[in-house]
Amino acid sequence: MSTAGFERWDRLARAAATAREGGDEAPRVELLQIEVAGAPYALPIERVREIVRLRPITPMPRVPELVLGVISLRGEVVQVLELARRLGAGGRAPAPGSRIVVLHGEEGPVVGLLVDAVTEVLRLPEDELREPHGDAADCVRAICRRGSRFVSVLDPDSVIQRVAA
Amino acid sequence: MATRRRKTPPGDPRPAKPARGPDVPPEKPARGRDVSPDKPARSPDVPPDKPARSRKLQLEFVSEAEEILERMRDDLSTLAEASASGREAAPAVVNQLFRSAHSLKGLSGMFEMAPLAELAHHLEDVLDRFRLGRSTLGKQGLVLLDESVALATASLEKVGREEPDPSLSEAIADLVGRIAAWSTEPAAAAAAPAPGVPEHLLRALTEYEESRLRESLRRGRGLALIDVEFPIASFEESLGQLNRALHDLGEVISTLPSSAASQEAGIRFELLVASELAPAALAERLGLDAAAVRSATTPAPPVETATAPADAAHPSEADAGTLKSLSNTVRVDIRKLDELLNLVGELARERSALGALAEQLARQPETARAAADLDKIRRTLDRKAQALQAGVLDVRMVPLRQVFDKLARVVRRLRIDLGKDVELQIQGADTELDKLIVEDLVDPLVHLVRNAFDHAIEPAAERRAAGKTERGVIRLEASQRGNDVAVSVTDDGRGIDPEAVRRRAVERGVIAKDDVLTRKELFALLFGAGFSTRDEVSATSGRGVGLDVVRENVSALGGIVDVDSTLGEGTRVTLTLPITLAIVQALLVTAGGQRFAIPLGGVRETLAVGPGELQQSAGRELLNLRGDALPVCRLVEAFALAPVDATQKQFAVVLGIGDVRVALLVDGLDGQQDAVIKPVQGPVPNVRGVAGATELGDGSTLLVLDVSALVEDSTRRRETR
Repeated sequence: MSTAGFERWDRLARAAATAREGGDEAPRVELLQIEVAGAPYALPIERVREIVRLRPITPMPRVPELVLGVISLRGEVVQVLELARRLGAGGRAPAPGSRIVVLHGEEGPVVGLLVDAVTEVLRLPEDELREPHGDAADCVRAICRRGSRFVSVLDPDSVIQRVAA
Repeated sequence: MATRRRKTPPGDPRPAKPARGPDVPPEKPARGRDVSPDKPARSPDVPPDKPARSRKLQLEFVSEAEEILERMRDDLSTLAEASASGREAAPAVVNQLFRSAHSLKGLSGMFEMAPLAELAHHLEDVLDRFRLGRSTLGKQGLVLLDESVALATASLEKVGREEPDPSLSEAIADLVGRIAAWSTEPAAAAAAPAPGVPEHLLRALTEYEESRLRESLRRGRGLALIDVEFPIASFEESLGQLNRALHDLGEVISTLPSSAASQEAGIRFELLVASELAPAALAERLGLDAAAVRSATTPAPPVETATAPADAAHPSEADAGTLKSLSNTVRVDIRKLDELLNLVGELARERSALGALAEQLARQPETARAAADLDKIRRTLDRKAQALQAGVLDVRMVPLRQVFDKLARVVRRLRIDLGKDVELQIQGADTELDKLIVEDLVDPLVHLVRNAFDHAIEPAAERRAAGKTERGVIRLEASQRGNDVAVSVTDDGRGIDPEAVRRRAVERGVIAKDDVLTRKELFALLFGAGFSTRDEVSATSGRGVGLDVVRENVSALGGIVDVDSTLGEGTRVTLTLPITLAIVQALLVTAGGQRFAIPLGGVRETLAVGPGELQQSAGRELLNLRGDALPVCRLVEAFALAPVDATQKQFAVVLGIGDVRVALLVDGLDGQQDAVIKPVQGPVPNVRGVAGATELGDGSTLLVLDVSALVEDSTRRRETR
């Protein structure tokens, strides 16, 4: 079975499970919350393939500055982007908690995003997602409130899209 | 089956990924090893229920039908060659074609592909009539058959990609109409009674056998009747042996079981054979008693043959052996081989881990002995792993014959379409290359051959005036040179005028008026973007694809294009390509504090270079290597790396492709290693000068340099930018 097929079924199964548990509640979304440049962000969890510890990144010539280079993942060679720079926060020195969040390649290229930390998995009703403010970064799709903080939900496609240009 | 199904191993949380991610553009479609390269199969992105199963069946159908069509293409080539040289079409080939059409009909019917089944039905009909001698094929018949196979292939391709195309069904219907119209025309050769053949024999023959008999007599062969007897237990084998022996001496028209008295547990046969040999000579060559072979054109005792069943020997049974041997290959999706190579690569890492462990153990006296044993095992493992790697690589290799056969068909087609007399000579078709390279080589080569046919070879009158033979020649040659394979297309046409190229280049602002270029450099300009020395575009070679695309395609394969031409005598275009892209011996170098891998196939030599050994000439930096001035490329500059202390000694890696050489300056040399080259995945996957990346045994990731791009960029700076 192809990967896409697998996922479609996986998603269906999850949706069915959610419906059973939650009864008539609003549909839930699952997000991976991350920390970038001191602010909380989130990525749709179905686009996340894996999370790996920071490892040496081999620099690549002739690429935009925010492409840090490549890493090997079990036979695959994947580019890593500096998410902070993409979000307009400028380059940061990797910290011990830094992780590389690897996104699936089904709807775009496989790519790694360097983040300062991976915080938690959020499960919340869809109607808690709000339109982002006008001054949010271009790749922020929605925001949601977690306690006193606002988490910006990123759209992986627009995170990647502007890079090649 | 070449589908992209894959299992996720238990305990592996990540969904299965193909070795080449689907995002690597342009992705190679899944292909079986011996499938013609123009029919990609696609991943069945459907849930594992009924649609998936029927999709799987459909792909199975496509792959099987592809095989049939491939065989038909080969057989048609053979027929066309025979027809072009005035030889008789080999009956075995015609029969196989007939059977292929028949199988295709059955298969298409089974999968409810009505237009294809209809087409196959008509093909079968035409071939049957030809086989029975009821009609001749002629040029037009061959063209129709060619067209049918091409159309069937195209429509299969659509099925494979799930892109139904109604225009193809229309095209098939149109073709079917033309075939029907053509085949109802009165046959050229009406069946004439065979002279001199006894009536009772004729009565026993099937229509097919009779037509073979007539054809043999027409060609002046004699007829002989061979009378043999075999024990029942082993007659099949003995008869087979006899048939094989006869294969070289003549043609077995019919094998008739004989009812004449035989020994107990024996069975007698009479074989009607057409041969140029006299009966006595036949008997001698077959090691038979002279009395067992007699001439059939003189009356034979009537009783034995008259009772033989008319359909005793259908031609399909006679060739069953051939069909059997055809299936002795396995079709493998090339990505499965990529996966295997991946595993071999990972094995290499385990090997070095073992080595490290052995070293550690060796330091302690109490485990020193075990360490020695461990090291021995590691070395054996090493050898086996290397053999495994070589084996996997070997499986990927296919002969260039596949491409050359295709080109022969192209030339045949052009001969008919353009009415030009051009001969295609082929040499080195057995030279092997990586399957993926061979496939990507088709388009560039077709383009070069068309170009030679259309533009380079002059019309007959012009050739005669120039004192050449009227028949033009295009030569395809392939040969292995170390880690490279050179494929060249040579014509004996009008050649290229370097001065005309220069004028055009100046006109277009590609070079300045007083630029000094060698002849070769001038010719190389022809492969620059949008450069053509002929303004008009003919239907044959002008498909919007220029020589620049040839260069791009070849360059993408890590190869290089080289042109040489003599005005009035002809042109030779040589493509030099690496044998495989999958795994290479690599030279490791350091520059700007970073390590890089350079495929050894592109490395001629390495040498230390002192600061005074470089020269400046006309703004270019040159390295004097035993009298030759090589252009210099500093990796640190090309890749904008952090420069290291400039007073340090530098090393020159002499890169070469074909006979073009460039000195790549690096900070240090770091030994050699096997490298499995992986494509880079990500938003910016293709970077000029980088062919991919590789993971070393120590877990580090290195970029692999694209030698052809570096060589080109350093030697062709004057080109259009």
